[in-house]
Amino acid sequence: MVTPATKVTIIAENLLEQDILAVINEAGATGYTIVEGRGKGKYGLHGNRGTSVIDAFSIIRIEFVMRDRDTALHVAQTISERHFSQQPGIIYFSAVEVLRADRF
Amino acid sequence: MDILATFAGSFLNQLQSPTLAFLIGGMLLAACGSKLSIPDAIYKFIVFVLLMRIGLHGGMEIRHADLRALAFPAFLAAVMGCICVLIGRYSLALLPRIQVPDAVATAGLFGAVSASTLAAALIILEEQSIAYEAWAPALYPFMDIPALVLAIVLATLHRQRTEGSASQRVLVLKIVIDSLRGSALSALLLGLLIGISANPVRIYEEFYDPMFRGMLSILLLIMGMEAYSRLAELRQVAHWFGAYALCAPLVHGLIAFGLGYAAHVALGFSQGGVILLAVMASSSSDISGPPTLRAAIPEANPSAYIGASTSIGTPVALAVGIPLFIALAEIVF
Repeated sequence: MVTPATKVTIIAENLLEQDILAVINEAGATGYTIVEGRGKGKYGLHGNRGTSVIDAFSIIRIEFVMRDRDTALHVAQTISERHFSQQPGIIYFSAVEVLRADRF
Repeated sequence: MDILATFAGSFLNQLQSPTLAFLIGGMLLAACGSKLSIPDAIYKFIVFVLLMRIGLHGGMEIRHADLRALAFPAFLAAVMGCICVLIGRYSLALLPRIQVPDAVATAGLFGAVSASTLAAALIILEEQSIAYEAWAPALYPFMDIPALVLAIVLATLHRQRTEGSASQRVLVLKIVIDSLRGSALSALLLGLLIGISANPVRIYEEFYDPMFRGMLSILLLIMGMEAYSRLAELRQVAHWFGAYALCAPLVHGLIAFGLGYAAHVALGFSQGGVILLAVMASSSSDISGPPTLRAAIPEANPSAYIGASTSIGTPVALAVGIPLFIALAEIVF
């Protein structure tokens, strides 16, 4: 009924969205979900405090699920190497179980 | 002494303008920890209305203007954008404990143009009936884009030298397209196009023009709040950024005023046009510049360049720069 899969969660600044999605699409992920947010990290506060006239520095969470764990790790590795050496961003993995495995 | 008196009078006059009162009011609110917040969507809409109004007005007037006169001031604007960045590269970047990428990114922002400062200057010129060429606001991209491109090129050269990495190509065209797609320039260019091609007199007179002042007052309130909240970030970086941000707007503005005055003598560039050129050079980008720099110079610390530009650069350009250039124009013209 359920199939094991890997969920990759990427948290990065808004302005990296297009570049990160390009890597995910290249790897053949069938879809992703993006949530906007705010928070705090090594690079200080991100996102709205009262007013913020630049939304490129607020953060987003991108999540995608893949059945093939190795491909998922490879995608994460590529994003991390290309973009997160000098810009804020974190990636973590979770083991999940999915219904309708053919979708992933 | 007359000159000083003229300047002081005009300066005091400007200090009481509602434009500045809203900016200072925003700072006060933020300093008092006010919970007032203005949603992002409203602020984005305001930037659109302001730039659209500037564009429409310019576009309608340009129909009757001789566009060949635009060429030389546009060239001056581009040169001025580059001069600002070079000044930063060979002053701020050489100071002790300053990282070159941080300094170059800061210089790039100070070379680029602030839409809110430009709008404030236009209102004051129209209030005082100082004439300017219809196409003068269209000089914006000619100064803005070269400054950002040059800053990114200098940062890339520095990266190659320090890391010894293989030569990286700077995708100039990508930066130019990126800048033109920014919210402020898109609205300005669309407004110009509609002003030239359609006949938007009624829309302009009934909607955009009456809204202009009110909208600008809200934008300046937001800029004031933003300026205060960014001060905390600026305190964490070297104090030289604060000193640079205090001087750069006036130095840049005065050089541009000189260049503009030369264009006035040689080609009859108008008094208002010279003031606008100086205000553009004096202003520092606080909305559209930072994301472009962030993407292209990732190693630079945004707290340094955004803090310097938004917290100090913009208030100095608005409060000191604009009245200074108007007073100066009254004296020399």
